[in-house]
Amino acid sequence: MLTIGLNHYLVLSAIVFSLGILCMVTKRNALGILIGVELVLNAANVNLVAFSRYQTGAADGHMFAVFVILLAAAEAAIGIAIFMNFYNTLQTIDVDRGDELRN
Amino acid sequence: MQYQTALALGVVVPLASFFFLALFGPRLGKPKSSYVALLAIGISCALSTYVLVNWLKLSTPERTELTASAYRFDWGTLGSMPLTVGVKLDSLTVIMYFMVTFIAFWIHFFSIGYMEGHSDEVDHVSKYHRFFTYLSLFCFSMLGLVVSSSLLFLFIFWELVGLCSYLLIGFYFDRKYASNAAIKAFITNRVGDFGFILGMALVALYLNTLDLDLAAARFAEQFHKSAEGPAVGIFANSYTLFGFSVASLMGIGLFCGAMGKSAQFPLHVWLPDAMAGPTPVSALIHAATMVAAGVYLVARIFRLLTPEAQFFIACIGCITLTITALIAIVQTDIKKVLAYSTLSQLGYMIFGMGMGAWVAALFHLMTHAFFKAMLFLGSGQVIEGCHHEQDMRKMGGLRKKMPVTCWTFFIGVLAIAGFGLPGVEIGHVKLGLGGFFSKDEILAVAYERAFNIPELKKTDAAADDAGEHADASNANMGVASPFRLASDNQPAQHAETEHSEHDAHAHGDHAQGTPQKMAIAAKLPAIPKWMFFFPIAIAYITPFYMMRCWWMTFCGKPRDHHVYDHAHESWKMFLPLVILAGGTFFSSYQMFRPLIHDAAVIATDSSTVVAIDGEAHVLAEAGGGTMIMLNHAPGKNPHDWLKMGVGFSWLIGMGFAVLVYLRGLGLADKLKRMFGPIHTALEQKLYFDHVYDAVLVGGTVTFGFVCGLFDKIVVDGIVNMTALLGKFVGVFTGRQLDMPVKRGDWGIVDAIANGLAQTMLDIGSEIRRPQSGRIRMYVMITAGSAAVALLVVLNYHRLADGLQWLMSNVGTRVLAANGS
Repeated sequence: MLTIGLNHYLVLSAIVFSLGILCMVTKRNALGILIGVELVLNAANVNLVAFSRYQTGAADGHMFAVFVILLAAAEAAIGIAIFMNFYNTLQTIDVDRGDELRN
Repeated sequence: MQYQTALALGVVVPLASFFFLALFGPRLGKPKSSYVALLAIGISCALSTYVLVNWLKLSTPERTELTASAYRFDWGTLGSMPLTVGVKLDSLTVIMYFMVTFIAFWIHFFSIGYMEGHSDEVDHVSKYHRFFTYLSLFCFSMLGLVVSSSLLFLFIFWELVGLCSYLLIGFYFDRKYASNAAIKAFITNRVGDFGFILGMALVALYLNTLDLDLAAARFAEQFHKSAEGPAVGIFANSYTLFGFSVASLMGIGLFCGAMGKSAQFPLHVWLPDAMAGPTPVSALIHAATMVAAGVYLVARIFRLLTPEAQFFIACIGCITLTITALIAIVQTDIKKVLAYSTLSQLGYMIFGMGMGAWVAALFHLMTHAFFKAMLFLGSGQVIEGCHHEQDMRKMGGLRKKMPVTCWTFFIGVLAIAGFGLPGVEIGHVKLGLGGFFSKDEILAVAYERAFNIPELKKTDAAADDAGEHADASNANMGVASPFRLASDNQPAQHAETEHSEHDAHAHGDHAQGTPQKMAIAAKLPAIPKWMFFFPIAIAYITPFYMMRCWWMTFCGKPRDHHVYDHAHESWKMFLPLVILAGGTFFSSYQMFRPLIHDAAVIATDSSTVVAIDGEAHVLAEAGGGTMIMLNHAPGKNPHDWLKMGVGFSWLIGMGFAVLVYLRGLGLADKLKRMFGPIHTALEQKLYFDHVYDAVLVGGTVTFGFVCGLFDKIVVDGIVNMTALLGKFVGVFTGRQLDMPVKRGDWGIVDAIANGLAQTMLDIGSEIRRPQSGRIRMYVMITAGSAAVALLVVLNYHRLADGLQWLMSNVGTRVLAANGS
């Protein structure tokens, strides 16, 4: 039977990370971008927990992951507040429309 | 099929329905998507009935064996602590599971009828399927919560039911009040859940497990060690905060979660607002099942409670049941009355748990779930029939228009009021409904704790002084001693045969903890007397406001003809009412109490506090284990006292309500004017919302404002000062050093400065080009460069080697070319 080791987690994390980046790059909807950011952060979390499990054996990585989750929540709150203002000024949350500072 | 498999399957089926509806719901539309959800919960209900029926046939040792051999999988490891996932299979799980699936099934059924007449559109898009999608998700989470064997999974499902509650309260999210109520419910629950997390962290830290049974065993181990010698570990005095030991804080922290979900004071403010959701949701989530999860949690962590934590719980319960019942008196919205009555009944349950009335509190939970679900569905029928009118002042006289709803509602009112005829028995069956049995038991235990125990302690102390009586913790428990274990085989003094059909098993194997239990029982602290009198007084008020609600809605003369003419009822909606009315009878008599009692033996074993059997005098039924029974002297039986004290409270309360509202609202208005300030205070819900708004919301806004001021004055000030300073320096130096000789002619410094600026401008306009303002482009560039950088770093040696090779090869060639 396949034993799951560190590498499996790292590959998973890499996949999730890439998907997150892909999501951020391709989505024009601001909320989609926020979701992409969450994916990236969670990929990092998987790494943190996996390393702490397989390298040190202590729960340090878990604690760090909890902090990341907390920060992600704060980030989402601020992000959504920004999008609300964005919507109020531009009547859309398509980020490509927010290019007023160009030139 | 194995029982645990059946239960686990019953949890997964609604989840499958949730995913199916989430994917295909919009295509199925109205009403097909509702059938999927109904089918899913129907399967769960059938499975739970199968388990329950078979479970009833098992003997107690067989049940114990099944409990011990239930699934446990390792899910992960946190540091050195394994996290297990498994099914908790015991009598409590089985009946909770049955209760949830049965009520949920009939509420799904009701919902189909209810949503027919209700708008399900938000911005002209039908959200019908969403309603049933969320309901399925809720069923999954609630059932998962019930079967979880570990605190961690209990917590995960706990959060999931919170999410479902949020989604369903805010079902009509385009209406401001609904979305506000949803947010309020969610945030208030977060406050409680924070305590839950802290409690869990303490459990993980000091007991190094999150498995319920294992944690309890380790807790008990430390406790017994502390009881024998100096206090160690979590019981030690050196670990204290606010005078509570770590052990107490653990229990209080976990209870905070229950405070949020079961809407206990001071976190009760969300539940009345949660009535903004569709009425079937109020019935299922905010009356029958989810709000009872808090009581269920306390029942599960009962073994982790210390006397201090237990006292804290009792206080909170007592305060909640009192203030919310008072507020219920003046409410005019039919759903708000029911919401406040739910709060008050939840207060009774929590209070019972705090008193140690483990069986009684859960018994009340079961009976309450049935009749409260029915009452809410009845109100849903009324609201639907009356064209979405919720104000009872505009109803009245609906008895003739909706007879079935009227009389099922009346059964609910009787059940919650504690209808019964004390002392009257037909055969061996006492005459009564729901609350008559369950509330009576809670009050009986409270009576014991407030009166009998201090008195018995006094006599014990006197006996000790006289040297006639041995230490109370002595294993030889004579008649003179106040406490006796349920496993005691002495013949019953006040044996009544009410439950004699239930087997009287002797579980000798659970009685090992006996001497320790006796020691705990001997130290059982008495409670202040007000904690007994408040619940008694409220037992008179409950029938009053429930009867008021029923009378204003269904009796008297119609007060609004528009509403009255519209009123109608349909079978799709009253069939569940009739079934649940049957369930109310069933839950009052048939099997719940014996089964809960059966669960109590294990669930309260090896705890640091005692579980008291409310029906202490029924020894025929008391199987054994380590539940404490109070062996009162003849004539001191609390039930005798309660028979006279509150036995007829339902008659008095209901009679008074009829007297007040017999001739319309005239007398009520007079009373209202008489009690002006009190009435206003109650109408304003005792100003809890105002205080929270001022302190918490106002505090946050003020803090934001202060931060804004800081930004404006200090930060901006520094920036502006720097700019001013720069300007000043520039002007000053310009005047002193660089006076132009002629107009338009630059001095040296000017030439440098302007030249630099011009260069910068040129560079800037070049750099500006890729600054398209497209955030996606930036992400791409950042990620791309990071990837390139990563590649370079990873292949550094290879690159370096390649470069070297290139250099040397090219170099030699160049050299060779030069040489030739």
